Amino acid sequence: MRNYTSPGRKLFLAFNYLFLILISLTMIVPMINVLAVSFTTNLESYDTTLKLFPRQPSITGYVQLFKYVAIVRPFVNNVIVTIAGTAVHLILCSMAGFVLVRNNLPGKTILVMLVTIPMMIPFQMIIIPVYVTIRNLGLMDTLWSLILIGLVSTFSIILMKNYFEGIPKSLEESAFMDGASEFTVFFKIFLPLAKPGIATITIFEFVNRWNHFLPAVLFINSPKNYTLQIALRSLVVSQELTSTTQSVANNTRMAGIVVSVIPLILVYIFAQNYFIKGLMVGSVKE
Amino acid sequence: MSYPTALSRQFRRSRLLYLMILPAILYFILLSFVPVADGFKMSFQKFRFVGASEFVGWANYLSMLKTPGFWRVFKNTLILGMSNVFLTAFIPMFVALSLNEVGRVGVKRSLQSILYLPHIFSWVVVGGLWIFILSPNGGLINSIRNVFGADSIFYLVSEKHIRPIIIGVNLWKQAGYVCILFLASIAGINPELYEAATIDGANGWQRARFITIPELVRTLKVVLLLNVMGALRIFDQIYVMRNEVVAPKVDVLMYYVYVHGLEKFNIGYASAISLFIFFITLIVTLLVKRVSRYEV
Repeated sequence: MRNYTSPGRKLFLAFNYLFLILISLTMIVPMINVLAVSFTTNLESYDTTLKLFPRQPSITGYVQLFKYVAIVRPFVNNVIVTIAGTAVHLILCSMAGFVLVRNNLPGKTILVMLVTIPMMIPFQMIIIPVYVTIRNLGLMDTLWSLILIGLVSTFSIILMKNYFEGIPKSLEESAFMDGASEFTVFFKIFLPLAKPGIATITIFEFVNRWNHFLPAVLFINSPKNYTLQIALRSLVVSQELTSTTQSVANNTRMAGIVVSVIPLILVYIFAQNYFIKGLMVGSVKE
Repeated sequence: MSYPTALSRQFRRSRLLYLMILPAILYFILLSFVPVADGFKMSFQKFRFVGASEFVGWANYLSMLKTPGFWRVFKNTLILGMSNVFLTAFIPMFVALSLNEVGRVGVKRSLQSILYLPHIFSWVVVGGLWIFILSPNGGLINSIRNVFGADSIFYLVSEKHIRPIIIGVNLWKQAGYVCILFLASIAGINPELYEAATIDGANGWQRARFITIPELVRTLKVVLLLNVMGALRIFDQIYVMRNEVVAPKVDVLMYYVYVHGLEKFNIGYASAISLFIFFITLIVTLLVKRVSRYEV
């Protein structure tokens, strides 16, 4: 577009790049540091040198992580809660979104209200009564409690509703003429046509659930039901703060972090566009 | 066999539709509406898990107002919250403007992805990462200090450093997310405006000042609102990064609710504080909406 770039602009662009590179380094160096330390030997992991690459690469940290730290069970629990929760969330929310685009449904206004008002009630504000509810339901210290929390969200319902609204009316009309039920229309026509919406919700819900922390803090007591975040917290936080003596080596701690974010990184690499898409919807909703 | 009439078919269809939305409605009733009502009721009770809970009027609210511990966490929440609200709005906006000047789409995209990355990690991961980076035993920051001959600082148990650290780490995690919101709003600006301005001889700064920034103000309002709503709910980060030494500086309202409600089982008292936070959030949200409408 512009053929001529003034010297002033060139200088500005140079500074601009410099600024952005500095910001990116602030983001990336800590992560590279963690990755590098996870591959050091026990001794080197305490070295006070800059570590962006391990001097003697070693998988001791990972071996110790799987051998001495109870991480496998929490990891499996996390997979169970994440997959079950995300799948059910997807079905329930897209069904609700489907219902909200149907015309001539008696009582639709009330349904819309019942679905949108909860958006103004953040989970953090109701932890005490929800705790009592979960207790009364007999779900304390079970993975069920973690699957239940967040099983439906206004955000997902509205997002699916928006996708469904873009589907031409003529498609469903001809299906109804052929005698299809609402169920059939939903599964055979609407769901397949709302794939981008499904992808966005799946990814968001996956990340959300993988990172779920507060519900597990509230409801889970016994180690066999720990989720990854709970196990990770006791691994990375623990006694590190005040004393200089530690029981778990730095490389093992960092290995824990790396292992726990691998699924997230994979999802991020393969589905980045949906992240951005979901982000937009998320900000517009409020 | 008789053919169903249009009306009865409509009804049958609707019945199926009600059935399809029923789980969602039940969920919201069970885990949103009823808890809010319960919380309200509990805040006026001396709550017991077994047996009848006793009605105590405003006692929980009064004891909240009279407890110095409450005011301390209230002050911490305000200090940390307000810093987050503004820093995590204006700095990402600045970065977005800067990113917008990058001509190459590939470079812009990669930078964007890097900035956004920390946002997909949990607070345990981000907290754990920074606890290590700031630690005196092989942590990055202190290693750099040692290279230059300075002594290690125990950052996370330092009353002087802890608040800036909490605020800074929050910025580190959230900046990319907010930045993308701003970038999207810049991308939505009609390019003809820029061309017209360039033809009229406007330089880069003038284009930013008179076209980009006014458009950003709208997004800024949304971001500020989101930040305000988030500010009073800070929990995960504090739960992960706090310790007894710096507790007086960083313990926030939600942490206080958690400790009093679910560790000490002072359910009525904790409910009163939850409702208090809820109303403050509501008021501040309305206020911000109002102020931002009258501005600009």
